[in-house]
Amino acid sequence: MAAIYTENLNKAYASFFSKQSETNALKGLNLEVKEGETFGFLGPNGAGKTTTILLLLNLIRPDSGAARLFDLPVTDSNVHRRLGYLPESVNLHDYYTGQGLLEFYAALLDVPIQIREARIAGLLQLLRLEDAATKSVSKYSKGMLQRLGFAQALLHDPDLLILDEPTASLDPVGRKEFREILVDLKKRGKTIFISSHILSEVESVCDRVAILQKGELKRVGTLQELSAGKSTRLVLKNAPGVVLEALSQTAAEVTMLRGQTTVKCVDTATREAIDRLLQQHGIQPERSEVETQSLENIFFSSIESPPRL
Amino acid sequence: MNVIFLIARDSIRALLHQRLLIGLMLFSLAITIFFSIVMSRTRENITSQYADSGVETNSAFSKMSEEDRRKMNEAMEQGVSAIQGFFYAATSFGGSLVALWIFSTAITSEIRRGTIRLTLSKPVSRFQYLLGKYLGGVAVMAGYAVISSLAVFLFSTSSHVELSPAMKYAPWLMFCRQLMLGSVAMLLSLFMHPIIGCVIAFAAGNGLCSPNNPFYFLLPSYAPFNVFGQILQGSIMRGSDVWLLTLYALDFVVLMLLFSWWRFRNKEVC
Repeated sequence: MAAIYTENLNKAYASFFSKQSETNALKGLNLEVKEGETFGFLGPNGAGKTTTILLLLNLIRPDSGAARLFDLPVTDSNVHRRLGYLPESVNLHDYYTGQGLLEFYAALLDVPIQIREARIAGLLQLLRLEDAATKSVSKYSKGMLQRLGFAQALLHDPDLLILDEPTASLDPVGRKEFREILVDLKKRGKTIFISSHILSEVESVCDRVAILQKGELKRVGTLQELSAGKSTRLVLKNAPGVVLEALSQTAAEVTMLRGQTTVKCVDTATREAIDRLLQQHGIQPERSEVETQSLENIFFSSIESPPRL
Repeated sequence: MNVIFLIARDSIRALLHQRLLIGLMLFSLAITIFFSIVMSRTRENITSQYADSGVETNSAFSKMSEEDRRKMNEAMEQGVSAIQGFFYAATSFGGSLVALWIFSTAITSEIRRGTIRLTLSKPVSRFQYLLGKYLGGVAVMAGYAVISSLAVFLFSTSSHVELSPAMKYAPWLMFCRQLMLGSVAMLLSLFMHPIIGCVIAFAAGNGLCSPNNPFYFLLPSYAPFNVFGQILQGSIMRGSDVWLLTLYALDFVVLMLLFSWWRFRNKEVC
């Protein structure tokens, strides 16, 4: 069963005055996040990440298409029993104390009263908020609000966590701690859906990532799948002159060093041409390496560059 | 039911932390107390006026001629009725402002501040949320009505002023009217800016609309709940009429809440 499933999800924000100036936030988004998976949702600003999350939470309605969580339509509020959500900008009721706010949310989530107190105390400790527990939320710093927001998302030990820019207001120590909590949740088989700008963070915890731009899904796959670049490097030992000459006629980059020839094929077509050429001359490459890309490279190669100013 | 209660409790808490609202409520209460004082002073003034004209002490009241006594009682009744009428109008207006404030901002302020996102990400249906918010407002309005009624009762008892018969059910009808007004304001706030919604909700049922105006048939008439005339004339309303008006208010509120829910369940809350 998919924890998150969207089918041809479309959403446009209409302008009040003109239909022409409406913004297509999502264009036919098809997404599937399996249970137990840690899924990174990437994209530049305005890509439609937050819109997707708001649709999944039923806070806004799609123009067309469907979204389901654990096989239930997102319009069913019961599905929220299995869901924890941390919004991008954590706006909390500032008339509570930190502990009071968690008690309110725990009651809404129907956390059994016998374990409620211990659960809240545990989360306050985990997120280093125990000293601020009795302080009014209005006096919390941005980072503390983010941590309190994370605590409320974990209150009922949800099966699915939807985190929108979860570390935006955290300092490096807070980010590290947050990553450790995520790793722990991942080990416990929780499904985590993270929308983030911080690629290193996504890279370190996510099993699969999706890259979204202008409401369209550009790429989706495991980090291995996405990072397997098209570029390959072949290493030849003592290649004859005729072969070297033939290689120099191709689109491949050829470098020679101490009798070792390195042939870099930047695309599949070049690689196929080189393979044929080597076969004709009966040469077997000493080794063949597929160049991997960092998530940052994948990200930038997937999205269209913005126009230069 | 528990969820509705929790949302209502949270709503009360939120309302009681709004300084402007508390200021408005205190101001309305101050008006209530002011008119209560004026009411008792009026009685004292009239009594002393007659005392100056020959009747020195209360014990001498019995020595007054029948005509003087009648005139004094009439003047006192008129003065006190007028003050009660003004008091009622002021309290009613203040209460209406409080109701409009509470109900028009109940949901919209949460949307504006973004706090609704977290609440609705919990297993809370939109119906539960809306009803909880409305009931929270009702509880605050009930508290306000009780306090202002108590203030009148205490002042009238302490200054031995006999209240107009209509004043006995005026607070209840005022409360019903404010709940109706609030339900309209809440509904309209889901369609338009809350301030515009408040103006329409207030104006629509306060005599600005006549049967010539199409809005008259769409929006409620709060006129039967206004007992200003009965207070001035000292006339009374039958208990059955009060019950009927209560039922009308209840029906009306339920209808407005259903419309609000219809609007709110599809409303984008971001």
